Amino acid sequence: MAEVKSVRLPTSEADVRALRVGDFVLLSGEIVVTAGLPTHERIQEYMDAGRALPIDLVGGTLFHLGSYSQETDGAFEVLYMNPTTSTRFNPFMPRFIRQLGLRAVGGKGGLDLASAQAMKEVGCVYLSFLGGGCALHSDAIKRIVEVAWSDLIAHYRLVKLEVQDLGPLTVAIDSTGASLYDELSRAATARMPQILRDLDAARAAAAGRG
Amino acid sequence: MSITYAQVKAAAAELYGAALKKIPEDTKDALRNAADAESNDGAKKILAMMIRSAQAAESSSRHVCSDAGIPTYFVRIGTAARLDGSIRQAISDGFDHLVATIEPPILKHVTNPLTLERGYKGKDMPIVSFDLVDDADYVEITCSPKALGSGRWAALEIFSFPTLDVIEKYVMDCVLRAGSQHCPPVVIGVGIGGTFDHCAKIAKLATLRPFGKTNPEPILAAMARLLQAVNRTGFGPMGTGGDTTALAVHVEYASGHGFTPVAVCFNCWINRRAAMRIYNDGRVERFE
Repeated sequence: MAEVKSVRLPTSEADVRALRVGDFVLLSGEIVVTAGLPTHERIQEYMDAGRALPIDLVGGTLFHLGSYSQETDGAFEVLYMNPTTSTRFNPFMPRFIRQLGLRAVGGKGGLDLASAQAMKEVGCVYLSFLGGGCALHSDAIKRIVEVAWSDLIAHYRLVKLEVQDLGPLTVAIDSTGASLYDELSRAATARMPQILRDLDAARAAAAGRG
Repeated sequence: MSITYAQVKAAAAELYGAALKKIPEDTKDALRNAADAESNDGAKKILAMMIRSAQAAESSSRHVCSDAGIPTYFVRIGTAARLDGSIRQAISDGFDHLVATIEPPILKHVTNPLTLERGYKGKDMPIVSFDLVDDADYVEITCSPKALGSGRWAALEIFSFPTLDVIEKYVMDCVLRAGSQHCPPVVIGVGIGGTFDHCAKIAKLATLRPFGKTNPEPILAAMARLLQAVNRTGFGPMGTGGDTTALAVHVEYASGHGFTPVAVCFNCWINRRAAMRIYNDGRVERFE
């Protein structure tokens, strides 16, 4: 079985650069999550205007996780969290990774090569969370540190959480620029002509002409 | 006796909740078999996590996934069923009841496509389709909440007198385009023929078929070869590599004209589906 490494957040550039695609990690410490396009647009607006974000992301993490936060008696609680598809945030991520010096991003489905390039420059990894892992991921939440932009619907808010042993998560893009998504897509594309030829042969055999 | 508004409302709520919290037994078995068969260590680990996640959600009555999707119901009404009350409204009210009462609560995913505003209600929600079953004395309701992860990658193209190789290549094109994105291992539904709308519907219904049944149409039964072809792509569980990209490929067909739609859609690994039959005499049968 693949080895699982424990990573304490905040983590150093050197520790992030030591991770390779295919590694599994367990995260402990503070993470920031959101699943909202409007949130990404707002972060970008704040950056354009030179305004400080309500939650400091510099040198930290930003994960594409949807969470259910609710306020009762003036305090927030987070009932659950789970990853969402990261690729729809492709247009935002290279700038966020560079400007905020993010050490880890993640969610599910990956990011494009422009983001991978930014991750290589900065020293950042993309971590793939189990989709449909709501119960497991939520059990790793120890504390709600902060909920920002609570004017947005729950899963769009920017939420800072303290987690213990969140994962295992798969390192799917590393700081050398290697991306499992890109590698697998290329490999599947390369393999496709042979797969189609074999389907042709199977079809011919099934039709009694093989 | 007759089938009442209250029964149908309760069924609509119960089925949605069940689909969110429990993955079908055949799907758990397929995941276990896939975990045993995987040659990729990382993929094996991820499949084992999937099984653990499903068990944890089920045993503690929590959601498997945070994306509760949008409410989608298929209703088949027996022509011998005796209906009492506003059955269509009952489904809508059942979903509203679920939203108001389910623990933990669900997030707002019903989206107005014109404004991108999200809530629990919207035009044409829940999406309900109806069919008739001659002489049956029941109403059968299937609930399949649809979320973005896999919903995003469904596709349909219309061909003119396509041969099977054209159809199968299109399926593989759709698989390649979805790549690592749709929370694999997926169940793939393929519809061939009919009209634009009918083809999409039979593809969707194909994803809801239980595993392990051989298609009675020999040409479609032979298309089981597509499962092996999909799994040779190597995208693997969660799209990070492995032998298990799909758990099943189910194909349905309908006669049509020479313009032949081919629809391909995906159910992510949690394979949400829950169904119930309510009989005139008050009996209720649950299945997945």
